[in-house]
Amino acid sequence: MTRDTSTRISIGSLRNWLSAVLSDWDRTQMTLCYLLVFILALSPLFIKSTYYLGIIILTVIYAFIGISWNIVAGFTGQLLIAHIIFLATGSYTTIVLYNTYGITPWVGLLASGVVAGLLGVVVAFITLRYGLKMDYFALFTIALMVAMRTLFLKWDFVGGAVGMWFRLIDISFSNMIFKTKIPYLYIALGLLLIGLIVQYSLYRSKIGNYLLAIREDDDAASALGVNTSFYKMMSVVIGAALAGVGGGFYIMYVTFVEPPQVFNLALNVEIVMAGPIIGGLGSLAGPLLGALLNKPFIEIVRGVLAGGRSGATLIVYGLFLISTVLFMPQGITGVMYRLYLKVINRFNGKAEEVS
Amino acid sequence: MSPEIFFQIFVNGLFTGGIYALTAVGLTLIYGVMIIVNFAHGEFLMLGIYIAFWGFTLFGIDPYLVIPIAFLLMFAFGALIQRGLVQRVLDAHPLNQIVLLVGVSTLLVGVVQFFFSAEPKAMHVSYETAVITLWGLRLSIARLVAFFASLLISLLLYLFLKFTRTGKAIRAVSQSRDAARLMGINVNFIYALTFGIGTAITAVAGVLLAPNHRLIPTMGQAYSVIAFVVVVLGTMGNFIGAFLGGLIIGVVEAYAGFYLGGDVKIIASMLIFILILLFRPAGLFGRKNT
Repeated sequence: MTRDTSTRISIGSLRNWLSAVLSDWDRTQMTLCYLLVFILALSPLFIKSTYYLGIIILTVIYAFIGISWNIVAGFTGQLLIAHIIFLATGSYTTIVLYNTYGITPWVGLLASGVVAGLLGVVVAFITLRYGLKMDYFALFTIALMVAMRTLFLKWDFVGGAVGMWFRLIDISFSNMIFKTKIPYLYIALGLLLIGLIVQYSLYRSKIGNYLLAIREDDDAASALGVNTSFYKMMSVVIGAALAGVGGGFYIMYVTFVEPPQVFNLALNVEIVMAGPIIGGLGSLAGPLLGALLNKPFIEIVRGVLAGGRSGATLIVYGLFLISTVLFMPQGITGVMYRLYLKVINRFNGKAEEVS
Repeated sequence: MSPEIFFQIFVNGLFTGGIYALTAVGLTLIYGVMIIVNFAHGEFLMLGIYIAFWGFTLFGIDPYLVIPIAFLLMFAFGALIQRGLVQRVLDAHPLNQIVLLVGVSTLLVGVVQFFFSAEPKAMHVSYETAVITLWGLRLSIARLVAFFASLLISLLLYLFLKFTRTGKAIRAVSQSRDAARLMGINVNFIYALTFGIGTAITAVAGVLLAPNHRLIPTMGQAYSVIAFVVVVLGTMGNFIGAFLGGLIIGVVEAYAGFYLGGDVKIIASMLIFILILLFRPAGLFGRKNT
């Protein structure tokens, strides 16, 4: 995306601010995101059904996890396909810390981020040390996922094949366990805000430029003096840590974890890949917009269209992914950007801008 | 371990390896010509095994007679997928290729699950558990047939690639797309043909598994992963490498299964995979640097 910084002089500070925002696509996207977060925060006023609130909470979590993948795959262009290993690591960390050691999830979520981030360091170090690129990197992460699934199945300390239930007995703020769904929603929204801000500040900073340069041309970036290994590792670690936190919260919310459930490519498609890809990989609003479409739509499919048959959601995800790649590789934000350019150009009466 | 058990495990591994080899040959062929990793590969095998199942339960056709039908059906299917989908992302960013093929894989699993339920099935042919004893080794007939059929099909494919005009054209395209085009080869036709063949022989591998293998729609994932392992082990795009790699992984898995237990054996192949990726990404038969 280009960064159009031309500003227009207009009367009134609100109009001034609005035109400043609207003349910059990145800020437009972020404003849209904050607006959506605000609307989501108001949703408990209108929605009383716990079922629908649950879907909203999961949507928010999906958006947060989508952001974590967007930083790795969207910004830096790393083919970290089985990103779900970080989510799984985070979920196991949170649940084991609480169940076995009684450590509150408030700390557990942070620990999840740290542990997943460390796994990210390991993964990034190995792949960079041995120069695994593109397809090889993608295959490596999948192999790692399969290996981890098998290990976790045999590891009784984390519940082995039986899995682990999150202990829900002590309802209290300090244990991050609540009677109603509303506090969960606000915690999830808090995470999402943090994710959005991290993503935006990364994107706007020098580091963001380096990451995008690596995505566009690895060798060229390196030739221009960008320490590509360092920034690749950095993006993997940030993405991994965010996914770890998200995974910890996700598993607290769904309350159960077992290896085949979390080390699973189908869940990986649903929770990690679908959102950012539909929304627009590498864009700022993509993960949130994608998640907003992804989760509610898939719940409708699961509940209404499928009539209890499994497989319908997989069909929808398959079609989603295929049609996005074929018909709108830039996702929803790509389509919106083109519309935006048209509007801006008409508004400014300027010559056509090349996207 | 007594020598009988040792050889028994070896033979079992070799038989499984035959199926792996056939699957991997399909994958490596597609990669070699199109430089695209088919993330939906295991699903083609899954479709093959379901075709055998339908043939048997609906029409009472023996799985082995289904082979030509499955081959033709899946050849057409593969060629269609190449024409309609893969062709459009050949020059796209690898991430788009992967997302597309992950989409295809998800879609196929979904369709099979939706129409034929996610429950495991088995087909119970009369020779399901039939065994012959040879030099003290107990050989399952279905797996014996599967092994030799895999061998035969791989050999036929090898001869096809080596000696026919079309086969030479395929090899030419895999060496250089542009040079092949300049020589008057219809590159897009070769792409569709190769993808079709790769798909078809993988489906045949599925049919060969059918007589004594459980069917579940998600079984493809495991075979995809195995095929990736084998193909990387035997050098991406290398036909003979993929074949030998398949046999090696089959045997290694059999011994790992014996020592570590059935569900941990995948760790052995993952370990090999990761080590190969790290220390010799070009595979056993490739040049040192990729």
